[in-house]
Amino acid sequence: MRVHAGVVFAHGVVLAGLVGLGPVPAAAEGPGMAPSTPAEMVATYSSLADGILALKRTEEDLCRSILAATNAHAQVELGRAQKAIAAADAKGAQAALEGLAADVGQMATEGDNAVAAVRKKLLDGGHHHNAAGEAQGIFDEGFVVVTRAAKAKLLESSRGIGQMARAPKADALEAEWKKVQAVVGPLLKPAR
Amino acid sequence: MTASHRERAAAPARLALGLAVLVSTYRAAGASSGAPPAPPFRFVDVSAKAGLTRIVLSGRPDKDHLLDSSGTGIAFLDYDKDGRLDVYVVNGWRLEGSRVVERGRNALYRGLPDGTFRDVTDEARVGGEGEWGSGVAVADYDGDGWPDIFVTNFGKNVLYRNLGNGRFENVAARVGLESPGWNTGAAFFDADGDGDLDLYVASYISCSLQDVLDAQRTLMWRGLETVAVGPFGLKGAPDHFFRNEGGRFVDATVEAGMQDKALGFGFGVRAADFDGDGRIDLYVANDSDPNYLYRNEGKGVFKEIGTWAGAALDENGAAQASMGIAVGDVDGDGVLDLFTTNFSEDFSTLYHGVGNGLFEDVSKASGVGPATYRPLSWGTAFADLDNDGDLDLVVANGHIYPQIDRHPELIGTLAQKNLLLENRSRPGAPAFRDATEEAGPGFQESWSSRGLAVGDFDNDGRVDVLVSHLDAPPSLLRNESPDGGAWLTVVCEGKHGEANPIGTTVTVRAGGRVQSRDIAAGDSFLSTNDPRPHFGLGAYTTVDEVLVRWPDGTRSVRRGVPARQFLRVRYGS
Repeated sequence: MRVHAGVVFAHGVVLAGLVGLGPVPAAAEGPGMAPSTPAEMVATYSSLADGILALKRTEEDLCRSILAATNAHAQVELGRAQKAIAAADAKGAQAALEGLAADVGQMATEGDNAVAAVRKKLLDGGHHHNAAGEAQGIFDEGFVVVTRAAKAKLLESSRGIGQMARAPKADALEAEWKKVQAVVGPLLKPAR
Repeated sequence: MTASHRERAAAPARLALGLAVLVSTYRAAGASSGAPPAPPFRFVDVSAKAGLTRIVLSGRPDKDHLLDSSGTGIAFLDYDKDGRLDVYVVNGWRLEGSRVVERGRNALYRGLPDGTFRDVTDEARVGGEGEWGSGVAVADYDGDGWPDIFVTNFGKNVLYRNLGNGRFENVAARVGLESPGWNTGAAFFDADGDGDLDLYVASYISCSLQDVLDAQRTLMWRGLETVAVGPFGLKGAPDHFFRNEGGRFVDATVEAGMQDKALGFGFGVRAADFDGDGRIDLYVANDSDPNYLYRNEGKGVFKEIGTWAGAALDENGAAQASMGIAVGDVDGDGVLDLFTTNFSEDFSTLYHGVGNGLFEDVSKASGVGPATYRPLSWGTAFADLDNDGDLDLVVANGHIYPQIDRHPELIGTLAQKNLLLENRSRPGAPAFRDATEEAGPGFQESWSSRGLAVGDFDNDGRVDVLVSHLDAPPSLLRNESPDGGAWLTVVCEGKHGEANPIGTTVTVRAGGRVQSRDIAAGDSFLSTNDPRPHFGLGAYTTVDEVLVRWPDGTRSVRRGVPARQFLRVRYGS
């Protein structure tokens, strides 16, 4: 819902700005003086800036929500896997562990293929949420929350869990899940 | 060069790779088991002499749009079932500015007994229907015993049904496969185990012909040159899966779980049983997006597992610009491995199969990464080129920006040498050595190569290499490697008399070594290989056992088979 709120807010700002662009009172100008930007325009731009920044925060919140939802799903799969392992249900354990591996992989890639398409669309439009972080090698292109280091660790865990699927062991699973949570936990906390 | 000279020449490279001890141990083991030292490679381009002369048209000279530089596929096939390989070359168009100057015609060359080819395109009626061609997959889709030719296009696809009399008819519209768009790689395979061949077709970018004609080079390359835009900045086009329903193909992409939600920039496609469960899976190489690995869950339903199976990204977790695919068991551990070719200044990736359809990126450790880092790579294949009992690797290279020719010191030129990597693996430890320099004159030529297929066109037991290029006729690299090891090629005849049924697996056991090959339609970069499984045997002159596993799971076995022959195995025998 925060997305909608952010979008509505931004649209409102733009509208307000357009209304404010009507007849603009001439700023104090004189011979040899640079024309100053009308205060109303500055105010509108400032409001627009608030909107833009709010949208960026909303994007971050949304990506964090995607991560949280996937993590929640992973916890369900984990529970299923643990029960199946305890019951010596090899088929059930395999299915749950593969589901868990897919979830962890999805957290690594900050969403599934459908989200990847949106990310690509944003990149194609020139939007890099973490442009500075990308330049420093901290983030992959277009990634909002998951750092490159976190991605690598989560991918390793997803492969590890996937390999466990055919020969599941409860203690190994628990150890791997702890690794996952050690990475995901900090990512789920808002940066601000 | 003698074998001993070659061994000495290879030593520094092996030391550099830190594999000297392992390699010499393996070599010694091979020698003690009777395998001869691998002979030197020698490949000679005989295309002009053989009559493969039609130029592949490739858009504008400056390559203003990616379609100008994506190139076309190529295929080895035996359309007339005379036991000799024929060649099919897909063609593009020539443009000048925004004007279409020439619509290239695809070419079918019939193999003749003397090792040359005759252009039979007109009489066979397989010129391409005026479309801008992309790829080719060859399979007997209707089970009438004759191999048919499916051509993907920028435009409507074409399915040439083989009439069995040297002629073909385009039935794409009738069977539901025209599917206009920028279609690229295609693979026929039996996805639902119902005995007929289904089809996956990858797509690259969503754009119109007008977009192509109007294209301007606006992407700045290293602050030096403006080059063609993409694929970033362009919209990916969705891939399609078509289920064969009694000879008519129905788009079942969503139903099969193969929806291309990421709109990946799809290129190469390869079907194979990666997890060894008897059901055919599918791998898709995406340019700049994660690759897809669709695991067959049975009953025509697939699950995309590339990320957690370790086959979607490189070892750093990065999506690569993948173009072509090779599949084979490179280290003889009984598990299929995967190789994808990628963009320049990024290594091509060797995914080592670790069982159950899972993979690990061993590009660096295997030596494949360093050898492939600089060129921009496309078509590729595993084949035992020296008949020593393991799969070597060939890679077709060529850049997409002609503008880099003005700065050759940076990353080379548009035209690049193709690569031959010699297999030096041992079970569980894939290893390759760059043998390009000693692979004969055919590998010293530079082209902007794209499609690549392997096959024994002259039936001499040595696997040859066929490569398509931009704005040039193809190269046919005849394998003239002296004194190779023994070999066996298996010709499978299916239930309905069809040659080499897709999805058949052949396993041979000779001298304690077990090798397997599968028969696929759609491979490499938009290409199709010789469908006859070929095995190098080294010093072994008798194959202990040949096991043919047919697509329906039934088996045929031959024991005590003499080497150096084309062994025919008929279904049910």
